[in-house]
Amino acid sequence: MTFLNRYSPLKKKEAIFGWKLVSPTVILISVLILYPVFYNIYLSFFDVSLSIGSENKFVGLSNYINILKDSTFWRSFGTTVAFTLITVIGSILLGLGVALLMNKKFFGRTLVRALLLLPYVTPLIAIVFSWKYVLLPIDGPLTKFLTLFGFSSGMDIINDPNNSFIVVSIFNIWRNFPFIYLMILSKLQAINEDYYEAAEIDGANSWQKFLHITLPELYFVIGSVALLRGIWNFYKFDEVYLMSKFANTLPIYIYEKAFTGVPQQGVAAAIATLLFLFMMVIIGYYVRKVLKW
Amino acid sequence: MVKRKSPIKTFLFYFAIFSLVIFVVYPFAWMLSVSFRYDSDAFDSGIIPKRPTVNAYMELLGLKESIRDELSNEEKQLLDLIKDLPEEQQKPVLERIYSQRKKEAFPFLRFFLNSLLIAGLSSLVSVIISVFGAYAFSRIDFPGRGGVQKSVLLVYLFGGTILAVPLYQIFVKIGMTGSGSKGLISLFVIYLVQTLPVSLYMLGNYFRTIPETIEEAAIIDGSSRLGVITKIIIPLSLPAIITVFIYAFMIGWNEYLFASIFIRPYPQFYTLPVGLNEIFYSDHAIWTKMMAASVMTSIPVIILFMTMEKYLVGGLTAGGVKE
Repeated sequence: MTFLNRYSPLKKKEAIFGWKLVSPTVILISVLILYPVFYNIYLSFFDVSLSIGSENKFVGLSNYINILKDSTFWRSFGTTVAFTLITVIGSILLGLGVALLMNKKFFGRTLVRALLLLPYVTPLIAIVFSWKYVLLPIDGPLTKFLTLFGFSSGMDIINDPNNSFIVVSIFNIWRNFPFIYLMILSKLQAINEDYYEAAEIDGANSWQKFLHITLPELYFVIGSVALLRGIWNFYKFDEVYLMSKFANTLPIYIYEKAFTGVPQQGVAAAIATLLFLFMMVIIGYYVRKVLKW
Repeated sequence: MVKRKSPIKTFLFYFAIFSLVIFVVYPFAWMLSVSFRYDSDAFDSGIIPKRPTVNAYMELLGLKESIRDELSNEEKQLLDLIKDLPEEQQKPVLERIYSQRKKEAFPFLRFFLNSLLIAGLSSLVSVIISVFGAYAFSRIDFPGRGGVQKSVLLVYLFGGTILAVPLYQIFVKIGMTGSGSKGLISLFVIYLVQTLPVSLYMLGNYFRTIPETIEEAAIIDGSSRLGVITKIIIPLSLPAIITVFIYAFMIGWNEYLFASIFIRPYPQFYTLPVGLNEIFYSDHAIWTKMMAASVMTSIPVIILFMTMEKYLVGGLTAGGVKE
C-alpha cells in the first residue's frame, strides 16, 4: 500500500479501516455483477456447452450474425422498444395526473394515499393472478364488463398473441405509476408558493401556472424517473413473463433461448450483449441531452 | 383572495378520485372476494361472496383436508384391488396414482417458509454489510471512495436479464447447481448482491443526516470507530435500517427470474413466485386456492408496509428502489 504513504499515520489508519468496511461490498459486486457483465461478452463468442466437461467452442461472430439475420429477433426488439416507450410515457402521464390530484387537500386523502401504494408494493405473483382472474375469457368479471362495450367475451385477451402486448403494457403502467406519482408529489410539495402568488398577481390562470411554473420545476424529476423506468422496463422480465407468455419482448426471448428447449446460451449471451450496448448508447445520449449533466 | 369553487369542478374532482380508487383496488377486491368462496362459487357474479367461507385458507394451511385428499379413498380401494396382481401389472397403476398425488399437492406452507428463509436471510446479511459499507462511504475519507460508490450505483443499470446467463454459467462451473440446497445458496448470494446497492445508497444518505459532533464526542471519550458504529450509529438510525431491511426483503420475496433458473428442478425448494406459478399451469389450479394463496403471499409485505408507512414512503422517494 505504498500509495498511502502520502497520508499521515492517522489518516492511513483511517483509510485502511475504510477499505476494510467496504471490502465485502467491493468483493461481492465485483464477483457477481461486474465480472459477469464481461464474462457475458466473452460467452457471446462461443457455442456454450451445457454438459460439464465438454469445452465451449469458439465461433467468432457467428452468434451475432445469426441473431442479426433472425427476423424473430428484430420483431422482439421492436416490441421491446414499443413496450418501453408506451409504459414510460403512460405511467408518467398517469403518475403526474395523480400527483396533481393528491396535492390537493380533500376528505379521505390519507386512506386514498395508502390504497394508491397497493399496486406497487403487493407481491407481483399475487396481483398477476388477480389480473388473470378478472380477465378470464367468459367468466372474468372485467371481461364481462368489457362486453358492454362490444368486446367479445370468448376472447382470451391475455393469451392472444395480438393483444397480450397491450394487456402487459397496461398492467405495467398500473403497477408502476405509484412510484412515479410519489416522486412527482414530493417535488410538487417542495415548489415555492411565492411563484404561484406572483403569477396570480400577474393574472395567470391555472393552466398557465401549470405550464410555466409547475412543469419547469418538475422537469428534472420527470426526466430522472423516465430514465429509471426506461432502463427497468427495457430489461423487464418477470412482470411480462408471468402475465403472458405471448408478449415477446427481448428479455423473454433471451430467457427462452437460454433456459428452455435446446438451450443456446451463447446466442442468449450475444443478445444480452447487444441489448446492453444499445442501452448504454441510449442512456449516454439521454443523460447528456435531456438531463444535461 | 377568497376563491369560490364551482360545484362542477368539485364534482369532477371527486369523480376523478373515485375512478382512480376503483382502478387501483379492482383486482384486489376480486382477489379477496374469490379467496373467501367455495370452489363451485368461484365464478359467481357479484363481488360480495354469497356463501362466505375460509375453506380455501384452511386447506392451504393444512388445517383441513381438501376434497382431493378425500378422493384418495378411491385410490386406496384401487390399491387393494391390484394387490393380488403380478408385480409388472401393479407398477403402471402405482405410478399413475403417485403422479396423481404429486399433481394434487399444493405445498403452500413449504413455499412460504422457503421464501421467508431466503428473503429474510439475504436481506439481513445485506443490511449488516451495508451498515458498515455505508458508514465508510459517509464518514471515512479513503482513496478510491468515489470510484467504489459510483460502481455500486452502476449496478442500477444492469438488469437481471443481462446477468442471467453468465451467472448461471459461473454457478455451473463452481458446481453450485447440482441440488436444491445448492440452488438456494446460489439464490441467497444473488439476492444479497442485488439488494446491496439499494441498502448502501439509502443508509449512506441517512447516515449523512446524523450530526458528526455526536461521534466526535464519543471518540474523544475514547470510543473506537467500531464502537461508534455499534453504540451510536445503529441505535440512532434504527428506523432507517428497518426500512432498508423491508425493501431488501421485498426484492427477495418477489424475485422470479433467478429462482426459476436455479431451483426449477427441485420442487421441495420452490419459493412462492416459482411455486405458485408452477401450480397455476398445473392441473391443480383452483381459483379459490390461488386467490387465498395470493392474499397470504401479500399479507406479510402489506403488514410491514402499513406499520412502517411513514418511513417507507420517504425511502421510496429517496431512491430506495431497484428492480
